[in-house]
Amino acid sequence: MLTAENLVKTFPGVRALDGASLTLHPGSVHALLGENGAGKSTLVKLLTGVYRPDGGRITQDGQELHFGGPLDAQRAGIGVVHQERNLIPAFTVAENIVLHHLPSRAGWLDRRRMRAEARRCLELLEVELDPDTPVARLSVAQGQLVEIAKALSLDSTVLLLDEPTASLTGDEADRLFTVVRRLRDSGHAVVLVSHKLEEVFAVADTVTVLRDGRSVAEAAPLADFTQGQIVDLMVGRAFASVRLAERTVDEQAPPALQLKDVSTALGHREVSLAVRPGEILGLYGLVGAGRSELAKAVLGLERITGGTVEVHGRPARIRSVGEALHRHRLGYVTEDRKNEGLFLEQPVSRNIAVTVWRRLARAGLVSDRRERDLAETYAQRLGIRIATPRQPAGELSGGNQQKVSLAKWLAAECDILIVDEPTVGIDVRTKAAFHELIAGLAADGLALLLISSDLPETVVLADRIAVMSDLRIVGELDNDHDYQRMSQQIIRLIHAETHVEGGVSAA
Amino acid sequence: MTLTAASRATLPGRHLWRTPEFTLGVIAVAGFLALAVATGGNLLSAGTLGAFFRFLAVPIVIGLSQMVVLAVGQMNLSVGALTGFCAMASAWLMLEAGLPAPLAVLAALLLGLAVGVGNGALVVLTRINGFIVTLATMTIIQGLRYGVNGPDTYQGYSAGLREFGRASILGLPAVFLVAVAVAVLVALFFGRTVTGRQLLASGGSPFAARLSGISHDRSLIIAHGLSGLLAGVAAVLTVAASGSVNATIGDDLLLPSFAAPIIGGVALAGGMVSVTGTLLAAFLIRLVDVMQAQFGINPRWVDLIIGAVVLGAVLLGTVRAKLQERST
Repeated sequence: MLTAENLVKTFPGVRALDGASLTLHPGSVHALLGENGAGKSTLVKLLTGVYRPDGGRITQDGQELHFGGPLDAQRAGIGVVHQERNLIPAFTVAENIVLHHLPSRAGWLDRRRMRAEARRCLELLEVELDPDTPVARLSVAQGQLVEIAKALSLDSTVLLLDEPTASLTGDEADRLFTVVRRLRDSGHAVVLVSHKLEEVFAVADTVTVLRDGRSVAEAAPLADFTQGQIVDLMVGRAFASVRLAERTVDEQAPPALQLKDVSTALGHREVSLAVRPGEILGLYGLVGAGRSELAKAVLGLERITGGTVEVHGRPARIRSVGEALHRHRLGYVTEDRKNEGLFLEQPVSRNIAVTVWRRLARAGLVSDRRERDLAETYAQRLGIRIATPRQPAGELSGGNQQKVSLAKWLAAECDILIVDEPTVGIDVRTKAAFHELIAGLAADGLALLLISSDLPETVVLADRIAVMSDLRIVGELDNDHDYQRMSQQIIRLIHAETHVEGGVSAA
Repeated sequence: MTLTAASRATLPGRHLWRTPEFTLGVIAVAGFLALAVATGGNLLSAGTLGAFFRFLAVPIVIGLSQMVVLAVGQMNLSVGALTGFCAMASAWLMLEAGLPAPLAVLAALLLGLAVGVGNGALVVLTRINGFIVTLATMTIIQGLRYGVNGPDTYQGYSAGLREFGRASILGLPAVFLVAVAVAVLVALFFGRTVTGRQLLASGGSPFAARLSGISHDRSLIIAHGLSGLLAGVAAVLTVAASGSVNATIGDDLLLPSFAAPIIGGVALAGGMVSVTGTLLAAFLIRLVDVMQAQFGINPRWVDLIIGAVVLGAVLLGTVRAKLQERST
């Protein structure tokens, strides 16, 4: 039996886990549920030795465990398949499976023992795969099975699967769950991290629900809950306290940004959306639904193959972010602020001025002073806490970094903003302040497209909510800001979709 | 959020003595004085001092030529070969085509610029790593350079140009002053112009730059073009200062082109330049050269020393980055 008690993990500016507990029994499938940012991935990473906890303890059969690294966790019998792929494409199935403990004789790789070990792991899953096939030739689903075999190759008794079906078709997911049940029946404890409640209810026996880094339900039999009750546990009810600016949307005004039947080279099909000045349109969907990609297509970073984009009622063919910015005053606040939103080593002042250097320049020359003045203006307006505008952006906390990433678009006087996961990795209190800020921008007349996979956030902020699943808009709802009802409707929309697509069949 | 002492120390403009440039400056002055004493004051005689600075001009410009591509996270292996090719081409224009010196100088600069833009365009169009692209163009240019006049030497071209190569203004060689002026322009370019800042943004984070409306491809072409232009400047200074040129010109410039910016504290990953650092590092390398000549040290040792210092400088940069990471 593996237990985690009151685990705490803090990152600069964020308390990711704040008393998370979990109990795993052999021979059972345990679901780990929670909203985005609730701390599921952090918990998985603590249990598998990727991070070390700041507080609390992990015990196995009463004995406390301390992991120096992922290999220690593997040796303790805890295997994991992370959400992102971790296989080496050029290596064979066998080489990948035993990668961490390649058998050798006098320093030479013992290929026969390697194949035998790989075959043993694959047989455990009752999966037929040639150990000598290069992984590059396998399908995504087959690759996943190889990852599971790899996780089991050190005689793991506990297996953690982080969003295993995110990139699988319905049939492939069903086959995966057959394997999961088989492992359970042979005495393994399997942890399933998933967004899809249908599949969780189909395979899991017990459930732990995380909210804001805490366990709000722990190791409870899943049969005691309905899907609706689980959703309630996940979203909580403590969000109504945010004070948002009053705003009115001019229903008569032409949309600031409108997509008409837009299709893209990435596979978006006939996406239609419209945002008016002063309005926040929520674009909700799960990770991988294609929302950020749609935004990038609008900005000219991905190819649009059909339909039209209109800005203030006029067709706009945007080929680069520069055009979006300078010709249409359309800005994009990225979800990945560290890689795409900021120049971490550069001063805050440059990070804000980057979009307006041409305007700041006198006779082709930009002065640091003018940059700093601009930065100070926006630091004050958005409440960015900086010691001096010269401070490198990388030194700021997550919330302040996000404000800097937003400020450059405001400096460029954008009146249409696509805001992508604005509060990802930001703690609860800063989050509320950020929501006020975004609502304030809409009240000032900006048109905002809010991309979020944070359900409470979407319901708090948006006027209308478009729901995207698998590169399509599957529905649009008027938001009445009633959580229970909105979240139920939205989740149902997404699930209806996975069902139609040949999704998960309930057992 | 509280601002820690560690983070304050990293702010530019404060604690001048903790910047790498300051350290380099101290070492440069100390090294120069030590060498002056060791040579019994010989280094300070007008002739030696003049030669010291005259042959510092090309290393400075070639270091800057490499620095501008490092700024966008690229490398240019063809800088040395290109310098030699431009030098040969301008000598040919003066001697065989009978062009007046100013036009030949202009042609050398344009040739450097054109080849540089070509490098950049190749990198952008083929999406092949700039290291590989310039490795290929380096080989091609070496061939072209040899093709101008075979193994033979050009000499006796424009008296005015050679006069300029020997001239001194206020006791400092004219070619050195040109190199310093070029350095000032490059510093101004990166520090104050919109394009210069966009280049640094591209180098610092290509994704963030692209999402801020800066074309990464444009940055690459401009950086390579500028690098080529600076190689052209180095070629003109070589032609003026040496009085004769042949197909081996530029062969020994590749290592110094990297050594100056890297010892000078320029990040290999891009996004950060230091003109002062590059200048001081070129000065230091020149000191090692003079030391070798003065004491009759085997030149192989000089290469070994410079190579070791480059390795040390990169290592130091990595360690510094790690320490900074830990303190935030």
